[in-house]
Amino acid sequence: MGTNIYKINPEFRDIMPKEIIDLEENATWSATTDKRGIKELPETKELLEEHSLCAGCPEAAALRYVLAALPKPEDTVIVNSTGCTSLMFPHIALHTVHSLFGNQNAVATGIKRVLDWRFPEIEKDVVVLAGDGATVDIGLDYTLQSFFRQENITTICFDNEVYANTGGQESGATPKGQVFKMAPTGKKFEKVRMWELAVTSGCHYSMNMTASAPKAVAKAVREAIFVARYLGPTFLNIYTPCILEIGLNANEGLREMKEQDKERFAAFKFVSPEAEELLAKLKEEGRL
Amino acid sequence: MYYVAKVNADMCAEYKCNTCTLYCPEANTLMFDKVGNTSWVDEDRCKGCALCVYVCTDMLSRNCITMEMVHGKEE
Repeated sequence: MGTNIYKINPEFRDIMPKEIIDLEENATWSATTDKRGIKELPETKELLEEHSLCAGCPEAAALRYVLAALPKPEDTVIVNSTGCTSLMFPHIALHTVHSLFGNQNAVATGIKRVLDWRFPEIEKDVVVLAGDGATVDIGLDYTLQSFFRQENITTICFDNEVYANTGGQESGATPKGQVFKMAPTGKKFEKVRMWELAVTSGCHYSMNMTASAPKAVAKAVREAIFVARYLGPTFLNIYTPCILEIGLNANEGLREMKEQDKERFAAFKFVSPEAEELLAKLKEEGRL
Repeated sequence: MYYVAKVNADMCAEYKCNTCTLYCPEANTLMFDKVGNTSWVDEDRCKGCALCVYVCTDMLSRNCITMEMVHGKEE
């Protein structure tokens, strides 16, 4: 891997689209800058390009923050699963793997182990990005098992509390009583508190948050990736509401997230003592 | 014809706040110009969700962004 794969053959430079040339000249990589972050978003080329999600989708905004916060994008492999998230991955300038629905953490485990064996001298990050259906329902077994095994992968769950891509069926992350188009009787039991399950299952870093504060999301992603790289599994649950399924206008997603900041997604943060030590050390070295 | 966001550059340059550029869900659409100290919109990429208007008007009460109608070339 490395940034060499983004270098354009000089023979073809004149026929390349502007976006590809921008990627070589204006995108930030760990080789070109010490510290990537969302402060670069307004001026540099992003690693995401013209995605196909709905206008005003909070998930797309959250993905921008995640991609901007990756400490080493050129050495990162993102594993994703079926859902709206998988629609964005063909538009990302990184290595991504689409797994079967729910298998994402098992696939990520294999990738991480092979990368460690093949490139022992290079730090490679494997990040799982999936929706709540893949993480909490269909792939719960694989997700928890990867936590039990203490795999060095970061799991990020874009929690929209519904199977939005297929028309609105209830998922394990749906709150009690919620009605959707394909779930007319309302949810009968409580929302699965996945961030607490992650702590019980051995995660070193677990957070529950909304995507309403870009800087907080970027900071959490960065910390989670560093903890996963050196210690063990980390989990982030980020609320990115589906504005279509809950009946909001395109410009109301941010307000909805801000409201839930105080309710279902009130800030939850768990950092194990080892992880706290590691983060303090990284901060001292100026890497965080 | 459809709506896209338009930034009032003169009003925006007074604040240099940069906040709307972070909340836009589209990549490289709402950008910041360091020379003019203003945000600007790439109209070809804007999907017209008006989230930036919510940020600028409702959150920050600065009213620098409006939604305006644009027309395709053949119209």
